[in-house]
Amino acid sequence: MTRINRANAAVAMGCLALLCLAGPAPVAAQDKQRPAEVDRGAVIAAQGAAGVPACAQCHAFSGGSDGSGAFPRIAGQSAYYLEKQMRDFASSVRANAIMTPIAKALPPNDTTDVAAFYAGNSGQFLPLAAADAALVEKGRQLARVGDAAKNIQACNNCHGPDGAGIPPAIPYLAGQYAQYIAFELQMWKRGHRKSSPDSMALVAKQLDDQQIAAVAAYYQQVRGAASAAASTR
Amino acid sequence: MSDLSRRKLMTTTGAFGAAMLPGSFAATPASAQHDHGTAVAQLAAKSVQPQPTSYLFLNQQEAAFIETAVARLIPADDKWPGAREAGVPNYIDKQLGGAWGAGERLYRSGPWQAGTPSQGYQLPFTPAELFRTAIAAINTELKDKTPFAKMTADEQDAYLHALEAGGKDLGGVPSNVFFATLWESTVEGFFSDPVYGGNRDMVAWRMIGFPGAYASYYELVDKHGGKFERAPTSLAEDVHGHVHVDAGIPARLP
Amino acid sequence: MAERLKPVDVVTVGVGMTGAIMGKELAAAGLKVVGIERGPMRDTVPDFQSPTIHDELRFAIRKALMQDNVKEAVTCRNSADQTALPMRRWAGYLPGTGLGGSLVHWNGQTYRFQPADFIYRTHLEQRYGKSFVDPELTIQDWGVTYDELETHYDRFEYLCGTSGKAGNIKGKIQPGGNPLEGFRSRDYPTQPMKEPYYGALFRKGAQSLGYHPFPQPASTLSQPYTNPEGLKLQQCVFCGYCERFACEHYAKASPQTIVLPVALKNPNYELRTNCQVLRVNLDSTGKKATGITYADAAGREYEQPAEMVLITAYALNNVRLLLNSGIGRTYDPRTGEGVVGRNYAYQTVSSVTVFYDEDVNINPFMASGASGTVIDDFSVDNFDHGPHKFIGGAYIGAIMTNGRPIEFHPTPPGTPAWGLGWKQAVARHYNHTVALTVHGSSHPARGNHLDLDPTYKDAWGLPLLRVTFEFPDNDIRMSSYVTDKAAEIGRAMGGKTVAAAPRKRPYTTTVYQTTHNTGGAIMGGDPKTSVVNRYLQCWDVPNVFVVGASAYPHNSSYNPTNTLGALTYWALDAIKNRYLKSPGPLVQA
Repeated sequence: MTRINRANAAVAMGCLALLCLAGPAPVAAQDKQRPAEVDRGAVIAAQGAAGVPACAQCHAFSGGSDGSGAFPRIAGQSAYYLEKQMRDFASSVRANAIMTPIAKALPPNDTTDVAAFYAGNSGQFLPLAAADAALVEKGRQLARVGDAAKNIQACNNCHGPDGAGIPPAIPYLAGQYAQYIAFELQMWKRGHRKSSPDSMALVAKQLDDQQIAAVAAYYQQVRGAASAAASTR
Repeated sequence: MSDLSRRKLMTTTGAFGAAMLPGSFAATPASAQHDHGTAVAQLAAKSVQPQPTSYLFLNQQEAAFIETAVARLIPADDKWPGAREAGVPNYIDKQLGGAWGAGERLYRSGPWQAGTPSQGYQLPFTPAELFRTAIAAINTELKDKTPFAKMTADEQDAYLHALEAGGKDLGGVPSNVFFATLWESTVEGFFSDPVYGGNRDMVAWRMIGFPGAYASYYELVDKHGGKFERAPTSLAEDVHGHVHVDAGIPARLP
Repeated sequence: MAERLKPVDVVTVGVGMTGAIMGKELAAAGLKVVGIERGPMRDTVPDFQSPTIHDELRFAIRKALMQDNVKEAVTCRNSADQTALPMRRWAGYLPGTGLGGSLVHWNGQTYRFQPADFIYRTHLEQRYGKSFVDPELTIQDWGVTYDELETHYDRFEYLCGTSGKAGNIKGKIQPGGNPLEGFRSRDYPTQPMKEPYYGALFRKGAQSLGYHPFPQPASTLSQPYTNPEGLKLQQCVFCGYCERFACEHYAKASPQTIVLPVALKNPNYELRTNCQVLRVNLDSTGKKATGITYADAAGREYEQPAEMVLITAYALNNVRLLLNSGIGRTYDPRTGEGVVGRNYAYQTVSSVTVFYDEDVNINPFMASGASGTVIDDFSVDNFDHGPHKFIGGAYIGAIMTNGRPIEFHPTPPGTPAWGLGWKQAVARHYNHTVALTVHGSSHPARGNHLDLDPTYKDAWGLPLLRVTFEFPDNDIRMSSYVTDKAAEIGRAMGGKTVAAAPRKRPYTTTVYQTTHNTGGAIMGGDPKTSVVNRYLQCWDVPNVFVVGASAYPHNSSYNPTNTLGALTYWALDAIKNRYLKSPGPLVQA
């Protein structure tokens, strides 16, 4: 089970006050963290900071990344979630050759601002090859009802309808690149990704490779939710 | 597996470099700049004007009574709308016209006896019959006096308090039984999911800070005392405000 | 006329928790088993899916998963001088129906009773003297001991994957657990649930007064788990839609998640749903059951012959079926004679509400059915009752399970019942309030009993069960004392306002308290004062076993489910290892 140490808890408490898609975060009464500055985040995303390459180099300024699926889509992702991933990269809960040094080098305020910037983006959808229809259908079943034979609940039960996400803590899957989804599921399956172990590692360990490919293919082509990421209340 | 060679990084830099000028972050939607409080206050103001309801069960006189009564039971103030603005009359109308109003899950065999208060509801009326009978009696009583909707707010409150206290027979419905049912229905209509016709735009949930139907808090439950300000979500919509009707869940396992 | 079906070895009346466990085990032992369930077929897929299941109005208020009292209700009165009237809408308790029964929509709170509970009369007389117990109370020993049940408690907890921290392993007190619990042979199968803010506040307050808080044992699981049946459960996500709702995450122990799939795969086991059992049939001697008669969904009647009848229909339904089948002598409260219907008990619950300033965010909607923090210092006989004029006790805990607003909108005393003041108070206090629960013993009394109603009938024309119940003086005194203790903890928790609401008479069916109905077909050593023997075998009809909380001679301070799970495995043991080898009475009267 994930144990959050005191320092992370304090930061997390502040992050809890962030709306997933808002700009400046409303500050909680007991929150000591400064509110996020979206404009500053945009500059860091575009230009990088203090020896750290610009996020936009891989994730694009819009957050839509490139079409390869090598870099996840982060446009419109919950700021809380984005910040947590950066902390996980810095603390080795997640390990990635590119992200780990970036996360370690980027100061916390910068991380907060960049996360808020990308959270407010819609990001373009690049044209991608259509996946096999039967595979997508298989993925849709997993997304909507899970696998009863393995007692695996529907992805949507936690990730929201059609994978729209349940902010702040649960990321969207809708429109996420299939290659990235599949990669992360494999990371959990092999024990390399240590965040959300009880939620995701068990699920991933039980999915066979075809199921992983199916659910990834399904979510990549979901548009309805994520494409409207910009229209918040 | 991702191919994150330095070569790849450097070749992609050029492609995105042109696109990432500061000017383009004006594309960040203005709505994303709203702080939570402003958005909520604007919504509250917008919702103060009650929207027209298509009544399927209540007739005009009944609707007039219900609209006025619920507006006193949970009034609007300058911070938050009340039951009327939230669509509670619509909720009550749809419930009375539906299965619950017709007496689903109500043991309806006689013989009929008034019991002790501990024995609960012992009348033959279905909820629809109860509302209809009681409101008809009220409207009859007030026909030659001031109709309920035309009373001042204080007079309306006094009238409701008198109903609540009991002692008045409304065509066979004790007034306190009617009041209790009306109050329960008002609370339900105020706080239930908007798919049922009340709690319009989830104003009641915003008022108290209840996040609604989408519920998964494993990551957050031990972050004690954090201020949780996610916009609430209804059964029928996703976090971006889009309605999803999920016909995809099969009747039988595949 | 009822069509006679092919005989089977075992029929279970009801396929809830006890029926599912018994059915699975006996089918696995090679017997032909038929499970008859009056309600519908239902399963996680497709019936319990998010977000549809997160609908407070439909499931918590309209009670969509519960028994439909259009078909079958109960009648209630406080005493014999009243006429019992139907509970026309479920309110005070909410019996389940459908495959899996009420374990589909319980909270997962999983406590063992105390060792003293099973020898209650003996224990109390030894400690306080023969004249200490109020003569109105008909408490008696159970005929089985905690030590005999311990391995069966363990087995049930491991079936469920119960999350917790042991406080007493083989007599050695363990830090972090409940030091006042009966011994366990090993720790819980999964670690304790995360502690929400309300639990942490309670923990601090209780510790400051010298009490011993511990994590509430939870069959809503803290982590993924594979049970001994090979079924996998997931971790609970604290969604706040637990009791009255089914779990979409496979994180709550229910027959569907912990045992039924194994039964349903076994060709020896057959499930029939939407079938209402009308009576158990007896032969001409009246001492042997020949099977049951039931009506299917279309109203057609069938006779199902069987070698054994297991009545596993829930405490109240168990007793009604015995009465409608003419099994056992009906208890008469005036004479004290007879056994079926005696020692009915319930639960004595009360509450304390702790109101905080607006900067204290409780977030009650982030909760599980069993993610609370509890003290056992005032339960059962865990404290010296000598100075007091009552027996029994209550656990105290911050065990909030939800923040669903139709049900939960606390306001401090003095708030108007409706209007602007009410609304403003609700907005002010919703997210800054902790509710403490005081969950107390319910002792049987001479006048509290179950029998058949003389007037009201169910949809099949059979008499409804009549419940005659009022809280005994003893329990009211107990509630007052322990609620005071809870209020002290509330003040120690730093609440700005602490409002205590001890249990008062009269008992009312109009306000939900618990669905912990016990007794009416109690177990014991003497057929003159019990319906079933210590193996839950009917004294009068040895091929009938009555497996439910109907067997409890009294209800302890705790939720009844875990003890019922233990008794189910205990009875199964006797059936498999003794009864099947040599059918007949397992205990000589």
